[in-house]
Amino acid sequence: MTRGPAVAPRQGHGQLAPGLDLVPRRALVERGLEAWLPLSPGDRAIVAGGETIFAGETIADRLREARLLETNDAPALKPGQRWTRVRISATGEAAPLSEGELLFESDGRLRIATGEHQEPLESPVAGVVREVRPGIGIRIAAEGAALPGAFALGGTARGRLDIAAGPDGELLPRSFDVGSAGAILVVGARIDAESLTRARAMGVRGIVVATLSSKERRDFLASEARQRAALHRLPPLAVLVLHGILRRPIAGPVNDLLRSLSGQEVAIVGDPPRLVFDPAGVDLPNELPGRIHVRGGPMAGRSGEWEGLAGVRRFAGGVNLEAGFVRFGDDPPVALPLADLERYD
Amino acid sequence: MSSDPHSFLAIDLGAATTSVSLIGRTRTHWRLVGSLSFPSQVSLEAIIDVLLERAREVDIELARELGFDAPNATRVLPRLISRSAPPAELAIVAVTERSLGAMQAIAERTGWRFRTNSLETSEPIPLTEALLDRSVSTVLVGADEPPGADERYRVGELAAIVAAAGLRRPELTIVLAGSMAEHQPRFERNGAGDGGELILGPSVSAGDPPGTALRVLLERLRAPNGDSRTAFIQATLGLAEALDRRVEAIDVGLDGSARASAAPGLGGAAGSVTWGMSAAAGLAPADPDEAIVDGVLGWSTVSIDRHRMRDRLRELRLSPWAEASGDGGPLRLAAARAALRRLIDVTPEVDAQPAADLLVVSGGAWAVAPGPAIALAVADVIRRPGVCQIAFDHARLMGPLGTIEEPAERRQMLRELADDLLVPLGSVVMPEGMRAGRSGGRLIVHGAHGSTELDLVPGGLELVDLPPGESAVAEFQFRNTVRLGARGKHFAIDVAGGLGGLLVDLRDVPLRLPDRADRRQELLAAWQEALWAGSEA
Repeated sequence: MTRGPAVAPRQGHGQLAPGLDLVPRRALVERGLEAWLPLSPGDRAIVAGGETIFAGETIADRLREARLLETNDAPALKPGQRWTRVRISATGEAAPLSEGELLFESDGRLRIATGEHQEPLESPVAGVVREVRPGIGIRIAAEGAALPGAFALGGTARGRLDIAAGPDGELLPRSFDVGSAGAILVVGARIDAESLTRARAMGVRGIVVATLSSKERRDFLASEARQRAALHRLPPLAVLVLHGILRRPIAGPVNDLLRSLSGQEVAIVGDPPRLVFDPAGVDLPNELPGRIHVRGGPMAGRSGEWEGLAGVRRFAGGVNLEAGFVRFGDDPPVALPLADLERYD
Repeated sequence: MSSDPHSFLAIDLGAATTSVSLIGRTRTHWRLVGSLSFPSQVSLEAIIDVLLERAREVDIELARELGFDAPNATRVLPRLISRSAPPAELAIVAVTERSLGAMQAIAERTGWRFRTNSLETSEPIPLTEALLDRSVSTVLVGADEPPGADERYRVGELAAIVAAAGLRRPELTIVLAGSMAEHQPRFERNGAGDGGELILGPSVSAGDPPGTALRVLLERLRAPNGDSRTAFIQATLGLAEALDRRVEAIDVGLDGSARASAAPGLGGAAGSVTWGMSAAAGLAPADPDEAIVDGVLGWSTVSIDRHRMRDRLRELRLSPWAEASGDGGPLRLAAARAALRRLIDVTPEVDAQPAADLLVVSGGAWAVAPGPAIALAVADVIRRPGVCQIAFDHARLMGPLGTIEEPAERRQMLRELADDLLVPLGSVVMPEGMRAGRSGGRLIVHGAHGSTELDLVPGGLELVDLPPGESAVAEFQFRNTVRLGARGKHFAIDVAGGLGGLLVDLRDVPLRLPDRADRRQELLAAWQEALWAGSEA
C-alpha cells in the first residue's frame, strides 16, 4: 500500500468517476435466476416443463441407493423412461424393485436403475419448471431476486434467515442450539467443519458465510457423505459461501442486504450458488457509484470512496500493479491495487 | 481487419486476464504503441478507453498520424482478437484400464479437461451418471482395433451405455475410437443432434507417431474455430520463420497451458512446429489434488503449510488477480513453476526437439513477476544444457497475432513487431557435468564496455549485468569437460543482454533441491531474491 496525495479531487455522486470502470464490478442482486436441481439415474421427476410450482413443493423422488436390475420385461422403452412391473408374490405381497428408469439395453436385456428407498426432493424456490431431464436435472425459472455467492455445498435449503454473527464474526460449535432449527443462519467471516456438523445436528437448514477454507470444506463434505450413507439421516445442510476461501468479512453491501432480509423466508440453491429471496418490501441497499470495497490485502473488509486512478504502483513484495486511490473517511487517499478492490451495483 | 489501417487493437481474452495492445504503422513498420492488462471481469471497452487515452496523452501527434486521436477511436479501430475456448470437459470411457490409459495419454496433451471411467473399475450407474453430467460436452469411447481379449466381451455393453447417454443428451458429441466404430448403428440419433455429433475417430495407434490422428481430432473438437492456444502455436511457428531461429514458446494461463517448439524451414520450405497443450498444467486447477499442492509447495519460497497452500491455490482460482502484493507474487511464481513442470511432463515430444535458440515465455501466470525472476523460474524448471536466450511476451501479443490466417502476413507482422513484443529477459548458459569443487573454472565476459571476470562455482548461479540491447562474448574455461551444446572445456559464446542480464546456471541438471522444506525454501528464496528486488519485503 502506498500513500497518495494529501488532497485529491472528490467526485460528485451520480456520475461514474474516471477510472472507476476499471474496478471489477459485482452484482449485488440478480433477477431472472434459473436454478438447476440435479437428478441421478433412477430419480423420478414428478413435475413437467411449464408447470408452476411453489416453494417446498415436492418435485422429484430421489433414490437413496440406486441398484441395477436386469430384465427383458419392458419392450419399446427408451433410455431415461420409467419402467414399472406389477408382480405379486404367492403370499400376495408386491415384489420389491418394481419401478425404475431404463439405463440401457444390451443383448436384448434391459438394465434398470432402481432402488427400495426414496426421499422427496423439494423445490427450494417458487417458479416455473423450464425443463425436466430424467436422470440429469430440473431447471426452474425462480421467482424473486438472488444474491450471488462464490460456491455452495450440500444441495439446497429453505428457511427463515437469521443473523447469528456480525460480518467479521465466527461461531463456535456450542453457539448452535435447537432454537435455530429450520433456519438459514448468517455466521460471519468463516466457520469450521465441527460447527457445520453441530448446526446440522441442531436442525439448521442452511449457512451463509463469507469464506470457507479447503480443509473445512473437505471435512464437511466427508461428513455429508457419511450422513447420506446412514440409515437414519439428518436433513441436509446447505452452505452458501459468499466470497471465497481466505478469511475476510462479509462485504458491506452484502451484509446490509442480509440484515434487511433477516426474518424473511429465503432459499439457498447450489447451481448457480445463490441466496434467493422475495424482494417485495425489502429495502435493498443503494450503492453510491463511487463506493469501493476492499476485497483483498491488508485492508480487506474496509469500504471507502473512489478518488481516481493512481497508475502503476509498486507494492509490498516488489510487485508493480495498476492502482487506484481510495479515501477512507477523512484520511488521505491511499493507493491500492485495482484487483484488490470491487464495487457493487 | 479493414484494408490498410494505420492502427489496430490486438486483444487477448483469457480466462483470467484481458490484454489490449495498440499497434500502429509508423512509416514502414508496425510498432507496439502501448498495452494494458486487467482482470477479465473489467469491461473491454473501459480498458481500450484508458489505453487510447494514455497513448494520446503521451503523443497526440502520433495519435493523429495513426488515426486514434478521435474520441470514437475506441469503437472504430480494427480488432484482432484471440480468445480462450470456454472450459469444457471430455469423458474418456473404455472397457479396460489399459485401453483407458492409452486414450488418456493422448487426451492429456490436447488441452481438454477430462475424466475417466472404465467398466473394469466402474459400475454402469456411476458411469452413466458421469456421462449425464452437464459439464461433460464430449465423450471419447474406444477399444483396441481389433478388440483385445480382455475387452472383447464387454465392448457391446459399453457401447450400449454410451449410446443410451447420447440419446438422453443430444447435445453430447461422441467420438468412437478404434473398433468401437463397429458399433456405430447403436449411436444413431434420429433427428437433429442439438449440437452434438457422432464422429468415427481413429484408433489410438493411428498416425505417425502413433496417436497423432486422434490427438489432432481432439484438439479440433476442443476449439473448433481455434482459440488463443492454437493461435499461440501458430505464432510460435511464425516467429521461428520470421527470425530464422529455432524457437520454443511456453504459455501458462489460469485454465491451461501450451508449449511449442518451432524451426524455420530450409531452402524456402515451410517451417515445422511440435506442440502440446494441457488443462491440468494451468496456474490454478479447479480442484487441486495432493500432487498439485505438493508441486507448488516444492517450489514455494514462502513458509506455508499444506492446508494454507491449498486455500491459496483455490483462492487464486476464484480471483486470479487479487492479493498479488506481499507474498502473493512469490506464491504465483511458485504455482507457475509447478504448472510449467506439469506441462513439461506431458510434452516429451517437445523435449525431443533440438534445443531452442530463443525461449519465449507468455501467459498470465507470469503477469506480476519482474522479468529477471521470470527468467530464473523458467531456468529452474526447463533444464536443458546449452545456451538460450529468454524473452517475455509482455503484451500477450502472440495469441492475437497467431490468429492472422495468411501465414506470410502473420510472419511479416511478427517480424516487424518482434522487437516490441518480446522483452529480452537475458541469456541463460547451462553447462552439464560440472564436478563438485571450490572452482569449476573461469568466465570472462567481453562486452562493449570492458570485460568482467568471475569464478565458476559448481552448484551456483552467477549473474552478469548485461542490459537489454547489448551483446557480449562469454569465454568459458572449465576445469573439466562439460556439455554445453557440445562437449569441451573451452567455449566462446555470443550472448545477448536482457532485464536479467547473463545468467550462468551452474546448478545440477536436472535441478536437485534439499528434501527438507525449510532448507529448500531458503535456497529458492536466496536465488530468487537476487533477481526480484523487494520480494523479501
